[in-house]
Amino acid sequence: MENWTQRIFLKAALCITGLLTLGSAQAEEGEDRPLIAPDVRPQQVDEALIDTENFEIGAFFGVMNIEDFESSATYGARVAYHLDESLFLEANIGFAEGGETSFEKLAGNVQLLSDEDREYTYYNVAFGYNILPGEAFFKVPFVDQHYTVNTNFYLLAGAGATDFAGDNRFTGVFGGGYQMIVKDFIALHISVREHLYDIDVLGETKTSFNTEVRGGLSFFF
Amino acid sequence: MTVLVKHRGLLGLALLLWVCSTHLRADWWWQDDSPPAPQPQVQVAEPFTQWRSGPGSMYPVIHSSERGEWLTLHSRKTSWIKVSDDAGREGWVHVDDVLLTKDGRGRLVQLEAPRFDDFRTRRWEAGLMMGEFDSTAVNAGYAGYWLTEQLSVELWGSQILGSASEILMANVNLLHQPFSNWRVSPFFTLGFGHIFVKPKATLAQSEDRDDSTAHVGLGLRYYVTERYFLRMEVKDYKVFTSRESNEEATEWKIGLSVFF
Repeated sequence: MENWTQRIFLKAALCITGLLTLGSAQAEEGEDRPLIAPDVRPQQVDEALIDTENFEIGAFFGVMNIEDFESSATYGARVAYHLDESLFLEANIGFAEGGETSFEKLAGNVQLLSDEDREYTYYNVAFGYNILPGEAFFKVPFVDQHYTVNTNFYLLAGAGATDFAGDNRFTGVFGGGYQMIVKDFIALHISVREHLYDIDVLGETKTSFNTEVRGGLSFFF
Repeated sequence: MTVLVKHRGLLGLALLLWVCSTHLRADWWWQDDSPPAPQPQVQVAEPFTQWRSGPGSMYPVIHSSERGEWLTLHSRKTSWIKVSDDAGREGWVHVDDVLLTKDGRGRLVQLEAPRFDDFRTRRWEAGLMMGEFDSTAVNAGYAGYWLTEQLSVELWGSQILGSASEILMANVNLLHQPFSNWRVSPFFTLGFGHIFVKPKATLAQSEDRDDSTAHVGLGLRYYVTERYFLRMEVKDYKVFTSRESNEEATEWKIGLSVFF
């Protein structure tokens, strides 16, 4: 009798220990990792994971001073491609509207140009050079906190065309601007550009100087 | 231009949509639930590597990493790579310095750094040029594809703005450079195209006309640095008019091009 009960308990004990060892063996397989994981560094450098941001796209608003035809609000778009840390290429397209000449105002009921011809559209392509890169430092008032943003002062020269007063004219452009890189992918711009073209609408041919002052926002991608 | 004026609202909308889509892709205004792939990391192998505050050699040096330190590579602007270290500092390191670091396998890092060698092996190029067409100002842009190291096909668009007319011109041409391994590489070109002449509004009795053209030319490509080069060329055009005699025009241009 005793033997029989002993056998039952022994069998049960064996079964339990067997299960336990099996279980623990399975648990060990799952806990192969050490308690403190070492710093795992990616083995290879995958260049596709490094985002390149050489292009810049943005919109601008400003004032265009059209010689003989008053000043007008202007707006448009700008795309830039950065060739290296200093040099970039940019393309601009902009729209403005010519006002009245002083002759039209004084003479009263005279219209030199039709409304359609007063629409001032221009495009240009320019080379830009970041001549003075730097940093701007901002202190938040009342709080002991400050921000530093990268800036660039750049010069521009280029050419394009201006569609105004019935014709499309070859236009030279030069100017300068200031860029503030607020975030790595956002920049604010302020720039002044001079547009030059030959025009013969007021009798004799002359070179027209048109100054554009504008501010804009752009995104790198 | 008039087409652009009419559809400028549409143009603005398209631009806005495009900007939005590029930043949606970058998960700018909402978080992506899936865990991002770990950014590549490199180990400094030189005695030290200098960091600058911005992507340019004129920005101040703000930090140096010693040999053995790990840098995480984030983004790239021209030849500068934004890095961070294990302490959470951020700065910019030149790609030439990153090329001297090692990856997890202990090998030197390989990254794209356009060099003179790429000038003759890259397939695509594009550029903008300015000059004179028959002593009138011309603006032009082109894109080209290299079939071999010597031969390429190019597509051109030009705008010629004269005192009497505005001319638009489209051209296709073959370009051959016999000495592709020279830094200053001369080339010959041969092609055909079409010309659209729009006389000025102030001229009386004017009408639009368009003609076919053919041209031959020669020029120089001069590799400057990084991925850009200067290009200058002279082309001689024959315009096949519908009048009694054909016309000829000489054009010279100079500009900057980029290879991809």
